[in-house]
Amino acid sequence: MMAKVFTLLRKELVDASRDKRSVLAGLYYAIGTPLLMCGLFIVLINQLSSPEDLPVKMINADKAPDLVRYLGQQGINSGSGEKADKLVLQISSDYPQKMARGESAEVTVIADNSDEKMQDSIRRLQKALQAYSAEMGSLRLIARGIDPRVLQPLKVEMHDQATPDSKGGMILGIALFTMLYSVFISGMNLAIDTSAGERERNSLGLLLSHPVTTGQLVISKLLAVTAFAMLGLILILLISHFAYPLVPWAELGFSISISPQFMLLMLVVGLPVAMLAASLQLFVSFMAKTFKEAQSYLTMVMFIPLALAMSASYNIAPEVLKWLPVSGQQQALMEVIKGKTLPWMELAIASGLTLLIAAILATALARMLRSEKVVFGL
Amino acid sequence: MIRRYSCWIRSLLMGLGLFCALPIQAIAVGHSNSCYATGLSDRLQCGSVEVAENPAKPDGRKIAIHYVVIPAIKNLAPQEAVLGIAGGPGQSAIENAAGFERMLHKVRQHRDILLIDQRGTGQSNALNCDSEDLTAMLAHNDEAMDIAADVRKCKKQLEQHADISQYGSEQALADFEAVRRHLGYQKLHIYGVSYGTRMAQLYMRHYPQAIATVTLDGVVPMQQSVLAIGGAIARAQTLVISDCEKDPLCGKAFPKLREELDTLSDTLQQYPVMEKIHHPVTGETALLTFTRDKLQGALRLAMYSPSIRALIPFAVHQAYRKNYQPILGLLSLQSGSLDLAMGMHAAVVCGEDWPRLTAAQRQDAEKSVIGKVMLKGIDESCPIWQIPPALKNFSAPIASSIPTLLLSGEKDPATPPAWAEMAAVKLTNAKHLISPYATHNVAAQSCAGDLIAELVEKASVKQIDGKCLNKDVRRSFYLNASTVEAIGEDKQ
Repeated sequence: MMAKVFTLLRKELVDASRDKRSVLAGLYYAIGTPLLMCGLFIVLINQLSSPEDLPVKMINADKAPDLVRYLGQQGINSGSGEKADKLVLQISSDYPQKMARGESAEVTVIADNSDEKMQDSIRRLQKALQAYSAEMGSLRLIARGIDPRVLQPLKVEMHDQATPDSKGGMILGIALFTMLYSVFISGMNLAIDTSAGERERNSLGLLLSHPVTTGQLVISKLLAVTAFAMLGLILILLISHFAYPLVPWAELGFSISISPQFMLLMLVVGLPVAMLAASLQLFVSFMAKTFKEAQSYLTMVMFIPLALAMSASYNIAPEVLKWLPVSGQQQALMEVIKGKTLPWMELAIASGLTLLIAAILATALARMLRSEKVVFGL
Repeated sequence: MIRRYSCWIRSLLMGLGLFCALPIQAIAVGHSNSCYATGLSDRLQCGSVEVAENPAKPDGRKIAIHYVVIPAIKNLAPQEAVLGIAGGPGQSAIENAAGFERMLHKVRQHRDILLIDQRGTGQSNALNCDSEDLTAMLAHNDEAMDIAADVRKCKKQLEQHADISQYGSEQALADFEAVRRHLGYQKLHIYGVSYGTRMAQLYMRHYPQAIATVTLDGVVPMQQSVLAIGGAIARAQTLVISDCEKDPLCGKAFPKLREELDTLSDTLQQYPVMEKIHHPVTGETALLTFTRDKLQGALRLAMYSPSIRALIPFAVHQAYRKNYQPILGLLSLQSGSLDLAMGMHAAVVCGEDWPRLTAAQRQDAEKSVIGKVMLKGIDESCPIWQIPPALKNFSAPIASSIPTLLLSGEKDPATPPAWAEMAAVKLTNAKHLISPYATHNVAAQSCAGDLIAELVEKASVKQIDGKCLNKDVRRSFYLNASTVEAIGEDKQ
């Protein structure tokens, strides 16, 4: 029995490797996604972070030389040109008079807050202005014989539970999602080829005329597709391992690294998901009559794991997602990468459910293939 | 009871900027070794190493040396850390974690920052003396107080949990090294500020193999007794006055500043002022006894921060005209901002600085008011503390080829640039940069944090370019109680 499965598996793998183009097409995702993501983030981070030396157009700078020098110390310099025009600091013309009387002098920040490239710079300018105002306020109090600490009745301390790893939660979620999703993408071409494709080439009937059971046939196809899915996962992990550290995450205040231990864990956790992916894809492809039909069905069906994994990568995800296939694994892995302990319970149930669904689909498929209608696509 | 005002007149160096020295303990959380420090929301790693208080008696009393690690954002060199050493002597490095984080922010991108509460400070068996609250400090006539009685009382209290003779710099250095080995760091990049530069230099002397780079900020050379600080204070005070004279606005507003300060100081010496005031914090009626020492102490403290320094001409002028509110404000600043562990302070100063004072240095110190007051205080208290003097070779300059960056602030009221030159005589791989606008603790007031990051990254001082220190970041002087900008054209 096992021998037959192995023979069939070898046949599937040989078949698959003959069609190099479609095999590679499946693996492009695993190779391309991490590189694309990292490239995108490198560009984004550079765009979104405020430059070290921030040019600001200052109107009436001569009215407030001390303020201008203070801003200069923070790297916010009076400048001109196109860049400086995007962020304007208008110092009111009665600034010195108001200051001299101990009143509030008006300064106006003119900028487009919907311009995402500028948001960081706008915040930085506002923060610097507030700091200057607070400092001057303190000095004014001292000059009147009052301890400036009376202005701070509350001393608010923040204890942030985040670790440098968990601060990148959102981005990590997306990164993890692309990795987990690779098991769905990498084996898909093979799944279609070995089911709808085999039927189209009329070799399915021929195969079943040999002394093998439909169960053995399904298992061997399942294993072949799973193997490809796992190959995709290994590839994406390897590439991520080298690509993610290249992004200057530190500028956003956190780090992302894919450690060998985590890669191992991901492979173990990913295996049931890969089996689910394989059985689901084979099942749907066999339902379709032609290769093309299978492709369009699968595109739709693949939306389910996509939605599950995506929603799990946001913190607002409902509780139940912790226990479901794909989203359960995704959340468990996120906990680990955030430096928390692995939620064994949830992961075990999610993985159990995953395997159960895979088994049900495989059994149903084996049963389906006993019908000639399905085998010959009638 | 060591009165606080006497503390800050006698406390010699101090290090970290006034406003980053907010005194709250890092709070240990449960059993885990993660904790938080005041003003810093990040989760830190905390712990302690137990050492013998007296290395010669390994079975004797044990003390726990506490440390925190501020984790790198992205650790590119896990076997290295940046060790921040606080000033004082007597400041807690952990209490100032937020200040260190701000200064070393760039370095932290790729390396852990290690802060250790030196023995006798902070959480490491602090040798604190009781201090008087602001109300009593304002009311008392400090020139007529009994220093010796206070010292005796404090010593008696401390002796219950410490052998004060064991709290000098070299004993503490062995603790630092023990913490380094405990945490498994192979190399340290040292950042010492003020008195912390002495610890850093001792580290270079005794454990050079453990050091990758050194930054000395506000340098106290080994050859120098910190008690010679009187000259530095007088120099900084003269600089405030001449800066004001040179500034068109300040010069016009306070044309006779120099005479006014001298007159004020002399008058107060003869007739201290007694006034009913509103308490700077509570607002209740209180008494102020305003003496010459208090004036000099308040001005000295104000000179540590570039922004508060800007208030000095106005405060002096007002006090001269018998409005003591601005000076009262300056006096109130010391409470809470300078929690030095005075027992540890004495253990260092009386062991390492007092015994080596020469007659010439004493004469020098006598020249300035503050130098005289300090000398008097220290001559009275050190014989009571009875700290064994450091060995003679303690004051030899450090000879080393470790890449070393020395930072000085031109306006520094504690460690003038000349001191850094003295420290560098036998450093073969050193660079001394002077910030023309900074006071004490240059890294907190300038772009020096970037330069330190460059030094740590490249492990060399060759390419370091101090140009950014020359950017004009001068703070304008206050012309009245509200403004630093020209008042004149208020006629529209």
